[in-house]
Amino acid sequence: MKITFDSQTLEINPSGDNYIASVNGKIASIQILRADALRGRMDLLIDGKRVTAYVSSDMAKRWVTINGHTLMLTKTSGAKQGVRHEHAGGLIAPMPGQVRGVSVSAGDVVKKGQTLLMMEAMKMEIRIQALKDGKVKAVYVAQGQTVEREQILIEMEE
Amino acid sequence: MFKKILIANRGEIAIRILRACKELGIKTVAVYSAADVDAQHVQLADESVLLGEAAPKESYLNMDKLIAAAIQTQADAIHPGYGFLSENASFAETVESANLTFIGPSAHSIRAMGDKAESKILMKQSGVPTIPGFEGLESDDDFKKAAKEIGYPVLIKASAGGGGKGMRVVNEESGLSEAIESARHEALNSFGDERLLIEKYLANAHHIEFQIFGDQHGNLVHLFERECSVQRRHQKIIEETPSPLLTPKLREQMGQAAVAAAKAVNYYNAGTVEFIFDPRPSTFDHQPFYFLEMNTRLQVEHPITELVAGIDLVQWQIRIAAGEKFPFKQKNFHQHGHAIECRVYAEDPANGFLPSTGSLLQFSEPRGPGIRVDSGFSTGSQVTHFYDPLLAKLIVHAENREIAIQRMKNALREFVVHGVLTNIDFMQAVLSHDDFAKGKVSTRWVEENFKEWNVPEPSVDSLVAAALADVVFAGSKSQPAVSNETDPFTPWKQTNNFRVSDK
Repeated sequence: MKITFDSQTLEINPSGDNYIASVNGKIASIQILRADALRGRMDLLIDGKRVTAYVSSDMAKRWVTINGHTLMLTKTSGAKQGVRHEHAGGLIAPMPGQVRGVSVSAGDVVKKGQTLLMMEAMKMEIRIQALKDGKVKAVYVAQGQTVEREQILIEMEE
Repeated sequence: MFKKILIANRGEIAIRILRACKELGIKTVAVYSAADVDAQHVQLADESVLLGEAAPKESYLNMDKLIAAAIQTQADAIHPGYGFLSENASFAETVESANLTFIGPSAHSIRAMGDKAESKILMKQSGVPTIPGFEGLESDDDFKKAAKEIGYPVLIKASAGGGGKGMRVVNEESGLSEAIESARHEALNSFGDERLLIEKYLANAHHIEFQIFGDQHGNLVHLFERECSVQRRHQKIIEETPSPLLTPKLREQMGQAAVAAAKAVNYYNAGTVEFIFDPRPSTFDHQPFYFLEMNTRLQVEHPITELVAGIDLVQWQIRIAAGEKFPFKQKNFHQHGHAIECRVYAEDPANGFLPSTGSLLQFSEPRGPGIRVDSGFSTGSQVTHFYDPLLAKLIVHAENREIAIQRMKNALREFVVHGVLTNIDFMQAVLSHDDFAKGKVSTRWVEENFKEWNVPEPSVDSLVAAALADVVFAGSKSQPAVSNETDPFTPWKQTNNFRVSDK
């Protein structure tokens, strides 16, 4: 099966008791020595090299720690990926904070660069602006509301 | 001795104080906000009181609610920790007037050191070195004369100033007139006041502070220095003691200056005198250190002093506040080995180090000889945007600096935090830098050397591990299988640290 994390796609398939993975044209053979689901720990042999990895998952996110270094990967999948990334263009909260004011509502026609919403986070003022001319499909938050990072604030019509 | 202490704080410092109370046989009262209902400090206390909403002014900064909680639980003292109300003189007074004891210095000391301009004058009068400069100059010639006397580079800044407005660094005489003119213009526009002052500019300054400790009977000692030059945007990230820069003679001079500074405001309890340290003193006064400010509270980085000086600062804070005499003299204290602290923050290094919030899916602290972790989190804890993003203080103690650095690098590698992003990788890069190994790190060093630093690209190993985890843990029989229909990208079943978001 194929799995995409951020912009990298890998294909991984069982092969007997082991797995074969290919990433960017590189092929690796993987043997699972031990897997501890409780701690999210796996001891692997990747092309004969021993690798201990800690992995956690929350929705599409994967945290991976190998050799003392931690990375966060975001799992994306083919067609639906586009929706998410459109929001990443600016209509999601860039950091956790509070909505100071919303200046549009569903159905409004807006111009590119127009400020749609103001946020405050860690005493900083953040303006959420329209990326292009268009029509507001939905506003998901209200003034005073606390939002998490990457929460969808406003959706535009396609 | 007190029977019950209310801890007016949260997170790791509340837990640190709770432990000290327990060791002294004192009952504890935790306070918390709506965001901290499940916080560790609440679970560890004998009693707890809900203050109000998450916003600090409704909870941890709300004096009336804190005093009411103390009276309601019949506590006889309040420990403010650091941050929040710890350096608020009115709070100290309010506590005392409610017939409770404030575990810290007097309101008078807090106030005297709180005013930065006034305290500079007071320090000058008390013989504590302050940054040389002149005020009230008018003509360009006066400035030229002053600059020559101080020695270049100099800093021209608005007397009424603040926030970098009307501030100019001048490296040589030829640039002085122009700098004065533009600074004056900016000062007038920003503050309606064109007066300027000139002072010595310290380009390669280090931040070195001294822990001081005193009782209410006139005993006052210093407990050596902490080197805190590794900073990002004026925020300390790594501290160590002893400082690799100080000679025994300088240490003694600065220690004496720190004690003199504290004595000038009749200081008792724990406090910290911060100095700017110049490894290449100017020819103007040959002075290698200047008073910066005094923090009238327990510092975040106090553990490294505890390890090297061999004293429990929090226990002694409590005993001193109860009126006990401090039985030790300066000559009783010596520095043993080397200690380093790394502040583990929930922040996103790839996104301008902005705070990162979420649920901790994994929080596995390092262990081993000489490793101490002061933290307020565990797996399952929530990291919210309401408070400081400090997750943990990782502290190591070893025979010497070299081993301490090595021990810290290993400990950071063993620290696994999932669910929020952290600066753990960043600190590993800082500790591995040659300049850090040499101890030559000024307060601007991080900004100058790590601009280009970024989170590494995912390795093949990490991609493989992430992909396999979905397969392997999804099939785990030991875990309750939860179908995950809310996530279009994760058709796998859930295990313990694989959670479905509650959104």
